Amino acid sequence: MPTRRDFFSRMSDGLMGTALASLFAQNLHANDGLYDLTPKKPHHAPRAKAVIQLFMNGGPSQVDLFDHKPALTKYAGQAPSRDLAAEVRAVRETGGLMPSPYKFARYGQSGIELSEMLPHLAKVADEISVVKSMYTTHLAHEAALFLMHGGRILPTRPSLGAWVTFGLGSENQNLPAYVVLDDPKGPPINFIQNWQAGWLPAVYQGTRVRSEGSPILNLQAKQEYPSGIVDLSRSLLHRMDTAHRDRHPGNAELEARIANYELAARMQMEATDALDIEKESAATKLAYGLNDERTASYGKRCLMARRLVERGVRLVQVYIEQQIWDNHNKIRAGLEYACGKTDRPAAALVRDLKERGLLDSTLVVWGGEFGRLPIAQDPGPNAGRDHGPSGFSIWMAGGGIKGGTTYGATDEIGYRAAENRVSVHDFHATVLHLLGMDHRKLVFEREGRNERITDEFPARVLGEIIS
Amino acid sequence: MWPAPLLLLAAGLFDTDVMPIFRAKCISCHSAKTRSGGLALETAEDALRGGKSGGAIVAGKPSDSLLLSMVAAGKMPMGGARLSEPEITAIRTWIEQEDRKSPIGERDVTAILGAKCWVCHGRREKMGGLDLRTHESMVRGGKSGPAVVAGKPDESLLVKRIAAQEMPPPKLQEQYSVRGLTDDELAKVRQWIADGAKPDFEKPLEVTVASDPAIRAKDREFWAFRTPVRPDVPAGVNAVDALSGKLAPAANDLTLMRRAYFDLTGLPPKPEEVSSFERDGDPKRYEKLLDRLLASRRYGERWAQHWLDAVGYSDSEGGNSGDQNRPHAWRYRDYVIRAFHSNKPYDKFLTEQLAGDELFDYGSVKRLTPEQLEVLAATGFWRTAPDATYSTEQNFIPERMDVIAGQLEVLGSAVMGLSVGCARCHDHKYDPIPTRDYYRLVSVLTPAFDPYHWLPPVYPCGGVGAKCDEKSTRYVLPRATAEWEEATAFNTPIELRVKELQEQIEEKARPYREKKGNKDAKLADLAAEFEAFKKEKTGLDEQIQKERTKLKALPLVRALFDLGPEPPPTRILLRGDATTPGALVGPGAPSILSAPSRDYRVEPLAHSSGRRLALAKWMIHPEHPLTARVMVNRIWQHHFGTGIVSTAGNFGRMGAAPMNQKLLDWLAVEFVRSGWDVKAMHRLIMTSAVYRQQSGANGFPLRRIDAECIRDAILQIAGRLEEKPFGPADKFKAQPDGEVVTESLRRSVFVSHRRTQPLSLLETFDQPFMNPNCVRRGTSVVSSQALHLMNSDLTRENARYMAGRIVDAVGDDATAQIERAYLLAFARRPSVDETKAALGALERMNAEWEKPLEKERPAEPVRSRAKWLALSTLCHALINSAEFLYID
Repeated sequence: MPTRRDFFSRMSDGLMGTALASLFAQNLHANDGLYDLTPKKPHHAPRAKAVIQLFMNGGPSQVDLFDHKPALTKYAGQAPSRDLAAEVRAVRETGGLMPSPYKFARYGQSGIELSEMLPHLAKVADEISVVKSMYTTHLAHEAALFLMHGGRILPTRPSLGAWVTFGLGSENQNLPAYVVLDDPKGPPINFIQNWQAGWLPAVYQGTRVRSEGSPILNLQAKQEYPSGIVDLSRSLLHRMDTAHRDRHPGNAELEARIANYELAARMQMEATDALDIEKESAATKLAYGLNDERTASYGKRCLMARRLVERGVRLVQVYIEQQIWDNHNKIRAGLEYACGKTDRPAAALVRDLKERGLLDSTLVVWGGEFGRLPIAQDPGPNAGRDHGPSGFSIWMAGGGIKGGTTYGATDEIGYRAAENRVSVHDFHATVLHLLGMDHRKLVFEREGRNERITDEFPARVLGEIIS
Repeated sequence: MWPAPLLLLAAGLFDTDVMPIFRAKCISCHSAKTRSGGLALETAEDALRGGKSGGAIVAGKPSDSLLLSMVAAGKMPMGGARLSEPEITAIRTWIEQEDRKSPIGERDVTAILGAKCWVCHGRREKMGGLDLRTHESMVRGGKSGPAVVAGKPDESLLVKRIAAQEMPPPKLQEQYSVRGLTDDELAKVRQWIADGAKPDFEKPLEVTVASDPAIRAKDREFWAFRTPVRPDVPAGVNAVDALSGKLAPAANDLTLMRRAYFDLTGLPPKPEEVSSFERDGDPKRYEKLLDRLLASRRYGERWAQHWLDAVGYSDSEGGNSGDQNRPHAWRYRDYVIRAFHSNKPYDKFLTEQLAGDELFDYGSVKRLTPEQLEVLAATGFWRTAPDATYSTEQNFIPERMDVIAGQLEVLGSAVMGLSVGCARCHDHKYDPIPTRDYYRLVSVLTPAFDPYHWLPPVYPCGGVGAKCDEKSTRYVLPRATAEWEEATAFNTPIELRVKELQEQIEEKARPYREKKGNKDAKLADLAAEFEAFKKEKTGLDEQIQKERTKLKALPLVRALFDLGPEPPPTRILLRGDATTPGALVGPGAPSILSAPSRDYRVEPLAHSSGRRLALAKWMIHPEHPLTARVMVNRIWQHHFGTGIVSTAGNFGRMGAAPMNQKLLDWLAVEFVRSGWDVKAMHRLIMTSAVYRQQSGANGFPLRRIDAECIRDAILQIAGRLEEKPFGPADKFKAQPDGEVVTESLRRSVFVSHRRTQPLSLLETFDQPFMNPNCVRRGTSVVSSQALHLMNSDLTRENARYMAGRIVDAVGDDATAQIERAYLLAFARRPSVDETKAALGALERMNAEWEKPLEKERPAEPVRSRAKWLALSTLCHALINSAEFLYID
């Protein structure tokens, strides 16, 4: 006989089976290992209830956006050190140190220094905290993305979102707990592996929601039967399935199946409403840039993210078109495009959450899998920058983050995190902490091991940027 | 050389005060020969260098010295008396005064040079006559003279060329996935040369199973590590029944028939088969049915899928979002299907997969026979793990070691029933698998999986990733075969045409290059600069593309084979990190599963190292404690949903205890006795009363059919399943809404299984993500399954086909239609009540379909169209029903 634990470990994708799991909780009386999405008690008082992760896949260039390095002008054109040279991916295209072409200025009361490429973010500078000393351990997108999401440079591990929903469940049982809004113009590298549940129960996997067309695969048929037929076939199926279940008394899996079919219908309604941005005011739409072709797509997804979080979704990841931050060449044009697409919506999201009183309980995180090197790649008029894992910047806002702050620093040229270095594990521990969880206590027992997102790596919570 | 005074001073203290203690108390386990834990304690350098756990002492820092904390805590000497206080004080004083840094040994230097130089100056290539693998070959040097001058780093060519950043050549670094040396690495090379460039005279760790200090006698007593013994069973009774408890009543014959069909072939019986089974009056009709099913081709396809799961078969490389296709992987898949179909004895099956290339000297065979090609294709077993090394960014030593780790995980979980992966970084916490034994397994593979001479996954590979030529491909190129000759004859004119077109592009580029004043300008740059050239180039590129699609794939065999003599040394990697090499090991199998009488023993072959063949022989030894148990448990699992050991890939301490060890052991012993006969095992299990019980909480476990069965069964009952076996995987396509579908109507095992793009239907029903493998599938109950079966085109379309074939078969009589639909979907006839209910539903559906059709007035007759649509909707409901999706 499968145990109750087996049963729940097999339950659901975060759409409906979740509600189901709680439905059966009354029938199956045991109290161990209940894998569902009902809200769970955190380890300590949480600062944030939800997370919106604006994932900037590709590796945004810190020295052009957040990390002002005047020394690069002084050393412009000089050859990199041996250590930096040993970390270059595209050796043949390597050039010398390359200063940022952008002006930096201080913004807000806090005076955070930002590049001119982020004029909208500058207006909410006092809400954000910029961490300038992140580092990662691999210079390939794949491995770095695995690390950023799952805590190791290898696939198969649960993503941060899966851990969070495993730890906290969801406030809304009729919507996925962990939603992924990817870009219609192309998915990130590692694609669906970025939001997998790994060896956590499938219920904690991210649900990919499309911002255009049918939001969830097969939520509707391409050509629906006449409504009379829909009703008739539903009731026929129900009759057959209940009769089949009655021939197999006590089989919870069959029970779950029947309920799944009923719940699938309810989901069509709720998901459709949550994602309907037409219900927003003209002013809101304007603020997110829905009127502008450049910002419309990303703005729409940021707005959807807010609507989902408002409805109790625990974690929303918004991805960006393929690799637009991966500026190996023509970095000026590349950054213009990427910032043009994201700066305004991201800033609008922070402001909108603030105005609705949601920012205090919603953590917004902006960042990619690594940064870029301060040297030129393919030097000349089309120069770009190669992957820079040793030092990069991210920002966070809301959910207990002390706005208007910066943390850590890279070396003189913005190559390597030098002061108050922040590992990816530190970042994970901090996000969990803000959500009321201790990364050492959020464990999943697997093959006799207590698995954690931070694994056996040392990790510390960035108390300095928490209010 | 060491500066003499320093050497004397430190050596003095060690020699006078400490060495006597070590000699008396430690040396029996930590001599240069025994090296327990990789640690020798004969000299001060030995202690500084340490063992598997890193340095035993840190010079000048007693509190950081592992050795001191172990002896002070009484943990060492292991099993001996605690050292006295004066002895501990003497050791502490020595460590305090010791001021030598941990010496840089040849092993540290070769770890650096291996990763950065050996690809051109190593086992297979000696560019400039230079071989940088050993102390001796470095001193000997190449055409430009010695690479190393002991004691004189600045005069050593090795240092000079590296320091000048001439080596490794920046131009080649990307292509060969090597990087320049960091300051720290260069400093180590210098230091080693300055210290005299001393060679390590190190011998691989010796492991004697009879007296292995790494394994306690108690460990060997664990049930799974002992050879199974056949329990006594009364004669004339099926042993499965004799060793099992109380049973539920027997299932009815049709239920049993459907169960047997799905279990052995993965497909439901056809209505005609149901009828003829019903008519068969022979009391042995069930046994006859089993024989028919076991002989069927469908059996091989079905059971191959289980094995392919276990070894992590995929038609793409994975490990990277490019998820490069593996266009030739299918030869291994076909090998597995044929093996099951022909009931290849399991011991032979394993041997061919582990060491098919070592079974005969394939290199000297003039014309490989299809059978010989099969045996080479069997080694595709070692080519299943996710492998990102086709990307130059992920083709460094650590990623290569990851691929080896993936294969060892497959070997461990699918064949040995042990998780060996933990031991890559530390001694296994729960099972007696020391890190040493993990790296001994690595060493078994090293002649073929050479981390310093890595064979890229793609051929021909266009200059990407490692060396990329015929000498460096992981494919066997069976030139002298009819298949090859046919393909090349077909391809030659096309290739000529492609070459012509490429020359035309070059020709067209010439004036633009002149205009630019750069005769080496890249074509892409020219195209970016000159619109007119871009246009010409695009046109020609398209033609080239078109020609290339016509090319026939060469019959490449994706295999594993030794790369020639002199495999690189294998070292334990501390914490799994390739930059921290530990003790040297030789090839071997896990000590815990070995016994003196059947230990791993290499018999060198003329054409190959014989290391994998030795592994296969070790694995299939009749007294091996796990090989047979793991396989019979797998067979049991696929008949009952759960194995006798429910953790099919882990029979160790953290695995589940067997629910019935006597039964498991009886089956395992019988399996070996029968000559590893898989089909006999099926017969034995399926003729037992245990298997023939009716389903229920205390009977046969009701279970959902798996993803491939769902798709295949839908296609079969729609009358569309194509039975064509074997060959390249059928293509899939991703639709704009993200759904991944295929136009193929063949069984799912023949449809391309791409890691990142599984068919949506299969993914929804728990087709595993191979990373690296799956020894037991999960069964989820998720709403996306309901959505998929209700709303996808695939199910709706096939329901219409099903209805069409029903009308073709039985005509317009609704009762007959319903009976046929039930026979197709459930392999039984409907009851009177069911028929009545279905008739009512059909009638109402009919009326509902007529309404819109009356308005629409289609070309075909409204009545008959409505009837067909109503029957389609009924069929659609059957496809959604639990009875269709579950094996009773």
